[in-house]
Order: sequence, then structure tokens, then C-alpha cells
Amino acid sequence: MKVVPEESLPTGDGMPCSGLGHGLGHVGGVCSSDGQYETPDPVTRREFMRVMSASLLLGGIGLSGCRRPVEKAVPFSRLPEGYLHGVPEYFATSMPFRETAIPLLVKSYEGRPIKIEANVEHPDKPSNGDDEAGRIGTTHHAQAAILSLYDPDRATRFTYKGVAVSREEAMSMLKQTGVKFAGLNGKGLSFLLERSGSPSRARLLRIARERFPEARFFVHEPVDFDVHRKAATLLFGVPVRPVYRLEHARRILSIDCDFLGMEEDAHRMIAGFARGRNPRLPRHTMNRVYMVESLFTLTGANADHRLSIPPSRIVLMTMLLFGELGRQIGWARLGSESAGLESALMGRIAGLPDALRGWATACVEDLVEAGSGAVVLAGHRQPVLVHMLAHTMNVVLGSIDHAVKYIEWPESEESPITELAAELNRGGVDTLVILGGNPVYSAPADLDWARTQRKAGTVIRLGEYEDETFPVCDLHLPRAHFLESWGDGVTGDGTVVPVQPLIAPLFGGLTELEVLARLCGLATTNPYDIVRDTLRGIVTEGDFEARWHKFLRDGYLEDSSSKSAGSVKPDLRRIAEAVRSVNPAPEHSEGRGTYEVVIAPDYRLDDGRHANNGWLQELPDPITKITWDNVIVVGPRTAAQLNLRMPSGAMGDYSVPVVRVDVNGRSIDGPVWVLPGVAENTIGLSLGYGRSAAGRVGNGVGYNAYSVRVSKALFIAGGAAIAKTDRMHSVACTQWQSSSEGRAVVREAAHEEYLAKAKLAKGSIVGGSQAKGALYQNPLDRLAETASYQWGMAIDLSLCVGCGACIVACQSENNVPVVGKAEVLRRREMHWMRVDRYYVESLEAARVVWQPMLCQHCEAAPCESVCPVNATSHNDEGLNVMAYNRCVGTRYCSNNCPFKVRRFNYFDYHRRALSGPGIKGQNSSSIARTDFLRWLTRMGPEARPKSELDMLRLLMNPDVTVRMRGVMEKCTFCVQRIEQAKTAGKTRAVSAGGATVPDGAFQTACQQACPAGAIVFGNIKTPRSRVSEAMADPRAYRVLEHLNLRQRVAYLARITNPNPRMLDKSSAETNTPMLDVIRSDGNHEQPQLR
Amino acid sequence: MACVRVMREVSRCVMAAVAVAFALCVAVVVGCWYYLTPEYSRVGYTPQQSVSYSHKVHAGELGIDCRYCHFGVEQSPYANIPDALLCMNCHNQVLSDDARIVALKEAIESGNSIEWTRVHRNPDYVFFNHAVHVNRGVGCVECHGKVNQMDSVTHARSLSMGSCLACHRNPERSLRPLERVYDPDWQPAGPAEQVVVGQRLIRELGIRKSVYCSTCHR
Repeated sequence: MKVVPEESLPTGDGMPCSGLGHGLGHVGGVCSSDGQYETPDPVTRREFMRVMSASLLLGGIGLSGCRRPVEKAVPFSRLPEGYLHGVPEYFATSMPFRETAIPLLVKSYEGRPIKIEANVEHPDKPSNGDDEAGRIGTTHHAQAAILSLYDPDRATRFTYKGVAVSREEAMSMLKQTGVKFAGLNGKGLSFLLERSGSPSRARLLRIARERFPEARFFVHEPVDFDVHRKAATLLFGVPVRPVYRLEHARRILSIDCDFLGMEEDAHRMIAGFARGRNPRLPRHTMNRVYMVESLFTLTGANADHRLSIPPSRIVLMTMLLFGELGRQIGWARLGSESAGLESALMGRIAGLPDALRGWATACVEDLVEAGSGAVVLAGHRQPVLVHMLAHTMNVVLGSIDHAVKYIEWPESEESPITELAAELNRGGVDTLVILGGNPVYSAPADLDWARTQRKAGTVIRLGEYEDETFPVCDLHLPRAHFLESWGDGVTGDGTVVPVQPLIAPLFGGLTELEVLARLCGLATTNPYDIVRDTLRGIVTEGDFEARWHKFLRDGYLEDSSSKSAGSVKPDLRRIAEAVRSVNPAPEHSEGRGTYEVVIAPDYRLDDGRHANNGWLQELPDPITKITWDNVIVVGPRTAAQLNLRMPSGAMGDYSVPVVRVDVNGRSIDGPVWVLPGVAENTIGLSLGYGRSAAGRVGNGVGYNAYSVRVSKALFIAGGAAIAKTDRMHSVACTQWQSSSEGRAVVREAAHEEYLAKAKLAKGSIVGGSQAKGALYQNPLDRLAETASYQWGMAIDLSLCVGCGACIVACQSENNVPVVGKAEVLRRREMHWMRVDRYYVESLEAARVVWQPMLCQHCEAAPCESVCPVNATSHNDEGLNVMAYNRCVGTRYCSNNCPFKVRRFNYFDYHRRALSGPGIKGQNSSSIARTDFLRWLTRMGPEARPKSELDMLRLLMNPDVTVRMRGVMEKCTFCVQRIEQAKTAGKTRAVSAGGATVPDGAFQTACQQACPAGAIVFGNIKTPRSRVSEAMADPRAYRVLEHLNLRQRVAYLARITNPNPRMLDKSSAETNTPMLDVIRSDGNHEQPQLR
Repeated sequence: MACVRVMREVSRCVMAAVAVAFALCVAVVVGCWYYLTPEYSRVGYTPQQSVSYSHKVHAGELGIDCRYCHFGVEQSPYANIPDALLCMNCHNQVLSDDARIVALKEAIESGNSIEWTRVHRNPDYVFFNHAVHVNRGVGCVECHGKVNQMDSVTHARSLSMGSCLACHRNPERSLRPLERVYDPDWQPAGPAEQVVVGQRLIRELGIRKSVYCSTCHR
């Protein structure tokens, strides 16, 4: 049954009379006697008066159609089988992410997807043999993917040379191309592909290679994780790929590998890391992370020991670590070729300073002690040599098939884009077929891709947006989003997963599989059938239909994970060769006044694919907390050299200088940001911004780092210069406050201390001020005795890695709007949940602690007593509830909230177009005036266009009110999920006791999305529930306890695990681990903690 | 003494004006209270529907259970309006040549949905769940009135927040045995029996008074 609110019906014909109070939009119409509404023409003043009085009369007489605003209820003509209006359905699917996929369960209401969750039935979950069942969560990218589905800027039409053509014409053009090249054996045909693990695509590519033997296949993935597979295959001589199982790792050494953030399968890595980090699991020792990096990444922020060195040093440092390992266990253990390797290595690392050696020695000692529980990872930015060294260390330490597995994985047969450029320049490409990707935006700048691509005779492209690549294409086909496509993929361990659509393609888009099938001239072009055919090849026994249905229902194919290659033998000669020949270029910049540049994918926008996603644009970067921008990151020393003054963030003071970075013969301007913890003489650039054709959200946001990226130095470059320009740029940072000002909001301790205290203490071991008793009895206490549930939440700060998936999940579940850069500058971001980041800081080395902050649901809430209209009250289950319709917008509640978790709708953010780049000439009073006019006339000039609003309406969760201007909102502990669970229990109950909701029957959105499982929610009245046990943990405390608010949200203190041998005696007394500062002049610096 | 002198000096016109203004305000308030609240504006609302379906004939005379058409009510927050094809279960044979049925058939063939005018409508910020009510002893006729006697569906009760709270605060006054929820003609023998029946159900099912904001407002 589709409820059609009146205002979305077109004005004019067929609309029943509306009666009084309807709004100016219907001025001049007349109610005729059969209830139909007609617009007369022309409307003169006399006519207007005449019809208005007639309408009033008719309204007064009380014709049923004129009595109150009429709303239509439109049921189906034929009901789809099994459909029940109002009951959500869940479908298993997966989100393709380069070569792997994230398994998902998507909630669908009324035939459209509205919320993405992790598919917890997928077998690849961390478990450590304990009874506790494993779980996985999602990343922020997966949570935000649903907004991209409803993006009105997506490609909606088939075009040829920029002019729209019909779908039939486009399909016939594809067919003709296929026929033509079948005749030519594929000569002159080139494919430019993205990375994909889809078995169906692999099968179709095999068919394509057979049909077009002389065609060439290229791959372009601007941030390519394929180096992991490439290095492992090169090293071991068999086609394998590393898969990490961090839950089995006790010591992790990461060499520029941001495995918690921007690497592959982050959701799985975080889950494994958290499992190994959990101080609560019995019989378990905590893991320890060593990080070697140049920029400050999410993983570095969570590491116990972080070595911050310039990128040119990282290769040498890896060699040093390897050399140290050889020395400690004996080179002979490495095998017969080890002598050659030893001499090659020792030669290269001769000149390194002693401070680095000391770090390496202590670190390797720890790894060796852990034996098979130690694992070494290398990041995608590092050259193949670093990967090979890391993998060899894994073999030597014995962690194969424990913390890391090398699984069979097919070789990549595609050539890099540089070869395609060469082919194009030679004139050898008659037809170029581009499937996905945005090469004009993201190809290396030295290839001059826009011009180069045009050298192909014909360009056929399947693209999700009519973006930067669109003008250089001939036939442009709209691509279907994964939520509306049939397809398949593999997860990191090789298990086959389906991509199952939740809605028919909204804009008639095609999938990659269909395009390939049509080009190959196959009879089967329907992607559903293609996927079934692929599965028929994989599932050889049993009833196919039964297995197909199970595949779709479960979201994975049973027993399809790739086999481990077992014990693999590294080819030491290859490493020795690489060691001898590697040029640790860029040149080390010390003393030369030049800088090194690291180009990293942005944490939120990835390589730029999410630029038009408002949720991700507004998600603050975990460490800089900047929204709607990318910045050029430098360390404090560099900042001092450049004489940079950072703003304080006080109102009006949020502009940073714009700097110019010259690298690779090109230059880029961008706002600078000083980040403690960035290595000396290192500059960080973020990819993904600076787009010119992303759509209404992403255009013109940030600077384009691709413009200085060349194919020889994709991630790391040297010889750069940086200089201030005289321009300033305002930066929308959501958290300027980096210190907690002496209020102990985040508590942490080192592992040794925790173990010692926890054994002896009963109750909380967290020091600090405790709440004293209250003078007056809280009347809610009596209610709490009779209610069936008392809800509470515990957040384990040891497990939280700061990824921000909870923030986007909450936004998705609760219809939280995006406000745009100008409003974020005014501190009006609407996130109900935020992750606060505090620095424990010294001059260069810095440590970061996270704290997810949401409404604490205080039992003695300071917000409830000050509401003049009682819009916010407490319910009998302990929740602080909001009745939005009562709120008049006094904002006194937010004023009183010590945690500032209440968010006010200063404007009608859902209808209002995003301010910021694109809306010029608006100051706050003119914005307020247009907003009022828009409210009066329903559609003003600065409102979002109707097409966009219609799409966003599809996305809204119908269980949660969509708030308008003037209303305060905040976290509700997902009260809609609580009530749904209670209702479900009551509906089915046949006895008084049967209605109780068992622990774990439902989860809040943030809890469900969290890949680390840091958030636990449930009934604190039940002593055995997970949340009660968490709150009884000796680490539990509440924030600002001295205010005696009696919050329902408890935090479990963060336990770090520094290496006692790497701690200085003095800092051990302050209970903070040593911050390792190795200056580039080789001196070891004692950090000054503020 | 001083105030008496002031009072004499105040013009009678002004006092009269104030009195009139006051009376006007009271009139406006009373008028709004009476005419603009759900008790007046909703009760009795009987819109014309595009299909002249009579509940009196189907649910009353023929005795068809509510759930035959409104089959979602036991599991869903919504008591769905059925699809047109459901009518055809009988009407492909019963009165199949009647002009109204022919029109219905044409709608089904063409795939057009029938647009019903919605009678019962809560604001968007109210989340009402049918399933939990019908499964816990609230009969259809409690809120919708004697639908089996309506030719055109009329909005029988005000369904204002006050009317919901009246029941939520004292559920024993409105509950009925579970097997009688869909029986439009069930009456308790008297108010005392109603309370007895209600309290028994409260005990058996553990019904609590849900009077907090979050029960309906999310």
C-alpha cells in the first residue's frame, strides 16, 4: 500500500479539492462539485476573489472531499507473493571492494533497501576457540553505500557522443562492436578494467580472451591492493595471496600498512585485531602493535609503538628489521641462499643511526619471542621488496597458517594502464571499452589521460556517473549500483558471495557482466543467468537449485574458501636481487631542504569514487576531524620551518594558510594542516578530492592530488618543495579541541598495571572522582524496579579503533541529515554519534585516544528538567526520549548537556540544498530569509530540487521521524529497534513471561555496524546480559562522573600494551608508553608530555 | 483611595474594549478547542471512495472476517488495504457482470491500482502498530467503531492522543478475550465484566501500561 502524501502529487489535473489551510501553491484553483480541482486560466484579481469565495463556501458546506487534506492509500493491483506491508525483508548481498567483497545483509522496506548491515552468518569471522561466537561488522564505506544508490547525479541515460540515445540503440551498438571484433579476432580492441574478484567476470573475460585472441586487457585501479598478491606470488613462486587472521596474532609489526583503515578487508582486520586486543577474554594475552610509518594513519594511532620516519627510510628500516631477525635467529635458519641475502642487506643498512637499530632490536626480540604468534604486514604504498621481506619474516617466525595464510589466488593477467597509454599513443587502439573507473580523473598525470584516451577510435564506457571521463567517451552506458545488480564476488578468504539486487535498477543501468556478455555475443546476457551459470561451474554436486537458493539466502557459498598453499618457501635470491637493485628513492631529504611526499587515498572518499556521497564528505577524518576538505599534512617541525600559524578554532578563526607543493615537476595548492606525529620533512597528500564532475555534492571540494601523481611515483615521491602562498582557506573541523583540559574523560592504563590491579581489586579500578550520593531520591528509581528492561550501553575503549562506521550507521538508521560545509563551520553538524579524538602529545611523536560520544541517557539528566514544554522526558526503561513534535526549539537542553550530544536543526536540512561551494553570496541572514520563504512557498530557489528530494525520500527509514527545522534531536538508543523487538516479543507471546526480549535479540545501529564489537547494548537489569557483565568490569567508568548524572553509558578504560623493554623508566611511572622519537639526525629524543 | 480615583479616570471605552478583546480571545480559544481538535474534525469523516465497497454487506451481512482482507494486521504495524486481486477471489464468479466488478477487473488487467481515500490517519510522528494491539486483546471495533454496520467507512472515534492514553492508562476498560478481537458484535455483559475480563488478560499476557513518550513517538 503506497501512501501518497498530497504535496507530492502534481498540481493541476486530477487532484481532489483540498479545502482550507492548504498553502499558496493552489491559489486560483476551484473545487468543483465532484471534488476535482481545476486550475482556471487566466487568473485575474476578480477571478481570484470569485473562486476563493466559492471554495470557502463549498468548504463550509462540508463536502466530504473538502473537509480535510485528502490522502490517498494506493495498494497493489496484484500483491507480490509473500509481501506484507510494513514488515521489512532482509537480503544477503555483498559490496564489491576491489578484488574482494564485504558480505552484507541489507534491510528492505516496501521493496527498497534502506539500511546496510554486516552478514554475520558469513563463516569468515574471528574466533579464538572460546565459546563466544565471532562477529563481523561493516566499514563506513559499506554503511554509506546506500546513499550512493539514491544519488540523483548518477548516470541515467545512454548517450552516444554526448547525445541521449535509446537503450535499444545502445545495445545494438554494443552487439555490432562485438560482431566486428569477432571478425577481426579482437585486433584493435582494448579493455580497461577495474580490479574485481568476481568469478563471473573472470569467466566472461576468459570467454572474451578466446573470442578476441588479439584483444588487450588492461587494469586501472588508482589505489591498487594487488601488490600484496604480486609480491607473494613473486616470492613464493606459486600464485598466492596473503590473508591475515589477526585474532591469532600476539605481536603485529606493520610497515606502513594501515590495516585498520585504508587497506583491503578492513572490516575483517579490525575484527581480528579487536579480538586479539580484548582485555576481557579469559586465558588471553593482549596483542601488541608496532607501526613504522611516515604519516599518521588510523592504525598508527592505535599502535602501541609507533616509529615515525620519512618514507625514504622505510625500505631501509625494513631491511634493518629483517637483518635483525636474521641475526637473532641465525641466518642459517633462513636456508641455503641466506648468505647472499645477508651480505646484500648488511651492505645497504650499514649507515643507519643507532636509535633505529635500538628500536629494531627490541621489536624483533619481541616478535621472535612470540614465534608463530607474530606477523609482519606491509602496506600497499610500499615497493615489492618490502612486501617480500615481510612475507619472508612471516615464514621465518612460523606464523604461516596462524596469523597469516597464503591462499591460492589466480594471477592477474591484465597489463597496467601505462601500457595502454603507450598503445593508444601508437594508434593501436581502435575501440577502447572501459568498464568502471574514472581514468580521466584518476590516471597518473604524466599520461595526460584526457588527450590520450581520445586517441582511441571509439570509446565505449560503462560508468556510474557522467563524470570527468564522460566527455571523452563515445558510447556511454549507465552502470547499475551494486544494490541493484546481480553479480558475485569473493571475500578475502576466497569464499564466493553473491551480489543480490534489492531493487530493480533505478535508472535502467547495466552491470559489467551484461556488457561483457553482449560484447562477446553470448546468448545469455541477463546477469542473473550469468551468475547462475558461473555457479553451475563451481557447484558440481548436489541439487543445483537447492544450493543456489541456499547461496542466496546465506549470502555465501559453503566450503568455497580458497585453500591455503601450506608451507611456502621464499625465494631468497629474488629478495637479494631486489635488495641490491632497489633505489630507496626518493632521496633522503635530510639536510637538502627538500621534502618527501606521501600520496594516500583519503580515508573517507577512497580514491574519489565516493566524492558525491554526502555522508562520507561530512564524516570527519578520524585524526584531523576535518570535513568537506582534504588537507596537505605536515609535521610540527616542517610547520615551524614554514612559520605556519594554525587557527585556534574559536568562532571566526578557522582559516589555514594555503601552501603550494611542488613535486614530480608539477604543483598543487591546498590548505595545510599541522599534524603531530607526521615524520620530519614529510608531506601528506590525500587523493579523492578536487573533482570537477562528481555531482552536486562533490564538485569543487578540496584539491586534486592526482594532478601531481605520476606513474613512476604513485605513492611516494621525493625532491618536493613546499611554500606558503598568501591565500587562506577555511577548514570545517569538527573538533578543534584536542586536549581534554585536565578532565579525565578517557582513562587508560598499560597492560601490566591493569593485570596487577584487576587481580586484587573488587569493583572499579579506575581512579578519579566518583559520584557521591544524591540528596533527593530519583523518582525514576521506583519505575526501574517494575519495568522489564533497563537499557544500558558499554563502550570498550580498548577495542574502538576510531573507524567511524558507527557514525555513518547511526546517520543511515536515524535519518540524520547532512548539513554542508558552511554549517559545519558553524558547529552545526548533525551527527548523533561522534568519535572524539584527544592527543596525548609531544613535539613530534603523538598518540591519539578515541572516545565515541553519544547521548549518555543520564538517569539524572540535566536536559530533561529544563525543557519548558517537556519535549524530552525519561521513560521507565531508562531512556531519555524525545518527542519531536513537542519541541519548540528553546535549545536550553543542549545548553545544559555537559557532553554536547544534542543536535539542533537550525534549518530544514533535509530540504535545504547544501551550502558551501556552489551557493554563493549567502550570509546568515539571507540564508534565514530564503529558508522562511521556502517554507511558505514549499519550493524556494535554494531548496533541493524535487528529483533529489524524491530520491532521498526513498532512503529514509520509515520507523524514525524525519525532523524539520526548529527541533532538537539526539541519540535515542535506537528506540525504534527497542520497540520493534518488544513489539515482536509481545505479538508472539502467549504468556506473561513470553514477551521478554532475550539479550542479543536486537542491536542498536552503532553496535551492529562496529567491526570491532566495541559497543555492547542490552538490559542491565539482567545480571547475565553482556552489557551487565561489561559494566561490572573493573575497567568500567563513566565520563564526568563527578557531575553525578548516573549515565547509562559506561566506558571501559583503554588498555595499551607497550613493550616494557622499550619503555623508559621515567615514563613507566606516568603509565604512558614511551613515544619513540627518532630524529633524522639520529638522536633519540625524550618526549615532553603536556 | 488612589486606585479608586484612577479607576474613575480610566475611560469606559477602554474598559469596554478590553472586555471585548478578552471575550474575543476566549471565544477563539473555545472555538479552536471545539472545532479544531480531533473530536470534532475527525469524528464523522466519511470520504467518498472511488470504489463503493460496503463493509456492511461484506463484513456485516456475509460475516467475512476482518483478516480475510486486512491480512497483515496480525504481523505488521499496518492493517493493509488489500490488493484488487483479492476481491476477485469471490467476484470472478459472484456478480461478475456487475458494472462495478467489471471496472475492478479492468483495473487489475491494466495494472492500475485503486486509489482509496484514507480515512484513519495519524500524523507522521506517531508510530502505531496494529500487530501488537490485535494480539494483546484490543478489538478492531474499539478504535474503528462498528465497521460491520458502515456502508461507507466513517471515522468513528477521535483517535486523538487523549483517546489513546485513556486506554493505555486503563487497559482493563478496553481489552477483550483474544478470540473475540475480530468479533465486531462482542459486548461484555456490563462494565464490571469488562474490568474482570480486562484484568484477566492483563495478568495472562503481562500487559503493562505503556504511557511513556517513546511508546508511540520515535
